[in-house]
Amino acid sequence: MRGFFAILLLAMGIALPGAAAENKDAAALSQLEAAVAANPDELKSANEYRKAVIRTGEYDRSIAFFEKLTADHPQAAYAWLNFGYAYVDKIPAAGSITQVILANKALTNFGKSIDLKKTWIALFTRGNSYLYWPVIFGRAPLGVADLEQAVEISRQEPKPRKVYVRAWIALGDGYWKTGQAEKAKATWREALKLFPGDPQLQARLARDGEDLEKYIYEQLDPNKRVDTDLSPLWEGE
Amino acid sequence: MKIRMAFLSVLFIAAGSTVQGQNPPPPIRFEEIGAAAGARTLHQTHKFRGKHADVLGMFTSGGASVAVGDYDGDGDDDLFVTDSDAGRPNRLLRNDFVPGGKLAFTDVAKEAGVAGGNDERSIVADAVWFDADNDGRRDLLVARFGTPLLYRNLGNGKFEDVSAKSGLNRFGNTIAAIAFDYDNDGRLDILLGNYFPPVNLVDLPTPHVLPNDLDNAVNGGGASLWRNVTEPGSKDLRFVEVTAKAGLAQHTGWTLDAGHGDLDNDGWQDVYLAGDYGTDRLFFNNRDGTFRDATKEALGRLDTKKGMNSEMGDFDRDGWLDVYVTNITDEYMKECNMLWHNNGDGTFTDLSKETGTCNTLWGWAAKFGDFDNDGWEDLFAVDGLRSAGKENYIPVLLETIITPGIDFTDVNNWPAIGNMTWSGYQKKKLFRNLGTLAFKEVAAEAGVDNDKDGRGIGVADLDGDGRLDLYQTNANQEALLYRNVSEGAGHWIELKLVGTKSNRDAIGARATVKLGGETLIREVNGGNGYAGQSTARLHFGLGKATRVDSVEIRWPSGRVEKVSVPIDRVTTVREGEGAAK
Repeated sequence: MRGFFAILLLAMGIALPGAAAENKDAAALSQLEAAVAANPDELKSANEYRKAVIRTGEYDRSIAFFEKLTADHPQAAYAWLNFGYAYVDKIPAAGSITQVILANKALTNFGKSIDLKKTWIALFTRGNSYLYWPVIFGRAPLGVADLEQAVEISRQEPKPRKVYVRAWIALGDGYWKTGQAEKAKATWREALKLFPGDPQLQARLARDGEDLEKYIYEQLDPNKRVDTDLSPLWEGE
Repeated sequence: MKIRMAFLSVLFIAAGSTVQGQNPPPPIRFEEIGAAAGARTLHQTHKFRGKHADVLGMFTSGGASVAVGDYDGDGDDDLFVTDSDAGRPNRLLRNDFVPGGKLAFTDVAKEAGVAGGNDERSIVADAVWFDADNDGRRDLLVARFGTPLLYRNLGNGKFEDVSAKSGLNRFGNTIAAIAFDYDNDGRLDILLGNYFPPVNLVDLPTPHVLPNDLDNAVNGGGASLWRNVTEPGSKDLRFVEVTAKAGLAQHTGWTLDAGHGDLDNDGWQDVYLAGDYGTDRLFFNNRDGTFRDATKEALGRLDTKKGMNSEMGDFDRDGWLDVYVTNITDEYMKECNMLWHNNGDGTFTDLSKETGTCNTLWGWAAKFGDFDNDGWEDLFAVDGLRSAGKENYIPVLLETIITPGIDFTDVNNWPAIGNMTWSGYQKKKLFRNLGTLAFKEVAAEAGVDNDKDGRGIGVADLDGDGRLDLYQTNANQEALLYRNVSEGAGHWIELKLVGTKSNRDAIGARATVKLGGETLIREVNGGNGYAGQSTARLHFGLGKATRVDSVEIRWPSGRVEKVSVPIDRVTTVREGEGAAK
């Protein structure tokens, strides 16, 4: 019956509300894809595109788009990074085993980005991603190695950007996950001097033992959507 | 959905406030008496041969099941316990308990003629007692990776294998069997839950027999429904397949368990299928011999979890059956179980996290039962896949899972497990219902926190003392018999229902007990819960109450009758005649 009405309305030039929204989304995604394709080695337009993908749930379309983009522009470091984010964005919508497969594909693409250009964002992203893996898979030390490099890059800037606190927090989490609780606390304390009042640092420093363990695992729950919005990178520009 | 959640939140706050100032209840306690009682049977999984042996063995680690039922009509429940390796016998453990004595069982499977089933081409996986011909004697269906076996109870302690003429002749890799009257015609039908697609695993025609997706697989065995067409009074048990006609054929998942119950309170039995590697399915009965798949609208989504168990019970005493499904929650996978709270409007809300029943590790069977007779249904859950050597299989498996482009269906692509452990040595969970929409895990205190590779559970008051006992089967390990020795357990009633117009076993009958302003419901089920059929008697704990206000039986035939029932004893109720004794 619904199909009959749909045909009738379309014949009258009136689309159903659902169909209209879908058409609008598809058009918007196409426009954003064109913008990304025009600047493949850039983060801003891709960030807007991925936000739209998350809103519409078109994860497979996004993955396919970035797959083609990286094939067309294999030297574009940020295209590979965005390709990795496309997999990360799909993780909360996937089953537990597919999550592992997606996470691993994301890591591969983050790695390609780092091979081309060692940036703070790429090192932070891959390092932080390693921390989401269960301890049994032994990936946390790899995360620590990336995050130490990311923090080192951030130290070289005369004035720390607000977004850099994320690498400090994650590095502490990495130390904690690799059994270096004191080093974790020291890292968060040092970071708090650079980023006074940061609530996430304060929350970690206020906890110990099981309470801290529970808190960190809550932050690293793969079933929750990881914030891959990169706009804090260009805040204040 | 938001309104419903808000309502439930209010309920949680309100319920939480009622426990203030109350004394803690006396502890639940069990003692394990399997060896002393002659019930410590050893299960062995099928040992495959050839180069795929290791992987196939890993994927078929079930088969340790128990079916509780009074096959000899002597008033106490007996146990049928399955084995799975070629040539190994199933056990029929006759309950020889004499009041005042100790629990004791004797294996009479060979004399009774029900020991067989594990041959070179078939693997026994599950069993269910049911009175197929309504002659007052419970017959036995043995489900297999193969064709099922149907044994007619001759009433003299012996059974006749009537499989060949029964019509139950389609090959399937069946792992779950339930018996219930889906069309309310007074005869018990059979629903088989099938795991693998219908290929013979002991003689693989193709290596592509494993799940095509580890979260959304659609190449499994699905389920098959068999209508009982036995003529009244006939000894020839006959079944015809009605899977497609009933609307169940489109389900092609990897079914691990099947459960039935009247989920919408319309007097007809509905079905919940727990699916491994993907989506569970909920089917509402259309009351015309067909079902409709209501999964998406009823559950709100199609899940991607590893469903292992389909058990039903009214845990919050709101008059609607809820559903408990186990999944995998371990160090490497955080699925969480599902306690589907029945909202009474055709929809369900998962309250496992809120109630504290989310985590049973690598879950298998879970059964409701009021183990302390306080009037609230508790939950016992078994877990653990494979307890072996120190090396962990998970990191090895990970390398396979993340291999680009790997074909999961191909047996050749899975790494051998050898002597590695995979989610092994896991402690069992006993969730005590606090009556406040919350459970407390008390397995260690109760003495049931064993770390065996659990599979099935049978619940019954095996020694007639008014407290529910437990029988736990384990894969490749000995079974455990837990006698309930809880002191301070409350009063109770137990109903043995006998159908006359309805099926003789009264499967699908519902008893409603009114007690001090509270309403308790129980339904007779035909094998709900993974690898385990519990007693057909309906057990109600009453707490400190010394009388019940009313007991009402709603039979599958539609008849509703009130009966008077004394406390602290078993009462037989015949349909249309009220309480008999």
